[in-house]
Amino acid sequence: MSGASPDDRDLRAGEYVLGTLDARQSAAVELDMDRDPALAEAVAAWTRRLDPLTRLIPQAAPPPDLWARIEAGLPAPAAGRPPVTPPWRLSWLWRGWAIGASLAAAAFAGLAFMPRAEKPAFMTVLVSDRAAPAWIAQADRTGGITLAAVRPAFGDAQPATPDGRVMQLWGLRPGDSSPTSLALLPRTPGRVSIQTPPIRPVPNMLIEISLEPEGGSPTGRPTGPILFYGRLIEAPPN
Amino acid sequence: MAEEADLAGLLAAVASGDRDALKAVYARQSTRLFGIAMAILRDRTAAADALQEAFLKVWRRAGQFDSARGPAEAWLGQVVRNAALDAARARGREVLTDDPALGDGAVAATALDDLTSAEDGVRLRACLGQLDEKPREGILLAFVHGLSHPEVAERMAQPLGTVKSWIRRGLLSLRECLA
Repeated sequence: MSGASPDDRDLRAGEYVLGTLDARQSAAVELDMDRDPALAEAVAAWTRRLDPLTRLIPQAAPPPDLWARIEAGLPAPAAGRPPVTPPWRLSWLWRGWAIGASLAAAAFAGLAFMPRAEKPAFMTVLVSDRAAPAWIAQADRTGGITLAAVRPAFGDAQPATPDGRVMQLWGLRPGDSSPTSLALLPRTPGRVSIQTPPIRPVPNMLIEISLEPEGGSPTGRPTGPILFYGRLIEAPPN
Repeated sequence: MAEEADLAGLLAAVASGDRDALKAVYARQSTRLFGIAMAILRDRTAAADALQEAFLKVWRRAGQFDSARGPAEAWLGQVVRNAALDAARARGREVLTDDPALGDGAVAATALDDLTSAEDGVRLRACLGQLDEKPREGILLAFVHGLSHPEVAERMAQPLGTVKSWIRRGLLSLRECLA
């Protein structure tokens, strides 16, 4: 919205805070806030102005186990040093890492149905937030990535894309501050090959699939829920 | 306010990775924040998921909170509203507009009396009082129940363009009045 008048900018911020914008418009405001300090300031001002309205809303006790759920989702603190909060080390990375590593070996049994030209260098199992395996991701020595949907018999998380949305594949290498888009996935689950992804797969790279608006994330980062995730490990020798 | 200073201090501790501080934020704010999510999602399971998502965001982004820009309570409220709005957008918000209970309570004119308990609330109430009834109702429906422009229009049985311009005019008046 370059060249927008101060009123336009301020109304856009006001409507964002009010919540009347649709998903795409709202994501666009969040993106623009990063490069337009005046917009970020306007959003903060509207948050401040309208917040007293939350007092009109009756308080309600959350389910008693909710804190335990939240805490279980936090990253494990590193032993022996003060915990830090790196931006992308989300709880599920660690959970996913552990689950992915244990499932990886088991999943090799299921790999027989995947025709492949050569032994993969790295692999992982992408699991849903219910830890159900949904995809097997493999990276070969030349850098290509192959993704195969796990057959329904294998788990209950057969990937399906809601209308008007698309699943987007991301990679996050250790040390990267934000994930890189690797591909938009076809609507019908199956097998996807990405011959030359924009970043080369490395061990411990996080692979994740988010649900995005049609056409992919408008911001260049995942904006929708992360549906599946896993971390690449060295493929075991066989 | 001591409570506000405490919350801001807790968020600073959360930003440095202090889990106990996050737990303390939850202990103080969860019933208020769960209420906010419930008003938008009207479903306990969905509201709990949204609150969980919001607290993970608080854990990751507490460092972005800047007390110079506004109170910690407002920042937390907005994180929760955004999580609930995202969930509502993902499932399609239209399911809510048929709910006959929607709008009873928070958007009733008498409910505005609840705003008088704090100074900023008194000012906002006075400024809302200066708006015409329709723009005020539209703004409250949107903020409290998370209705989109088309949903507010449907609920108020008015054309979309009319409702959009009411809300915009209302926002501009509020800004001027609160300046």
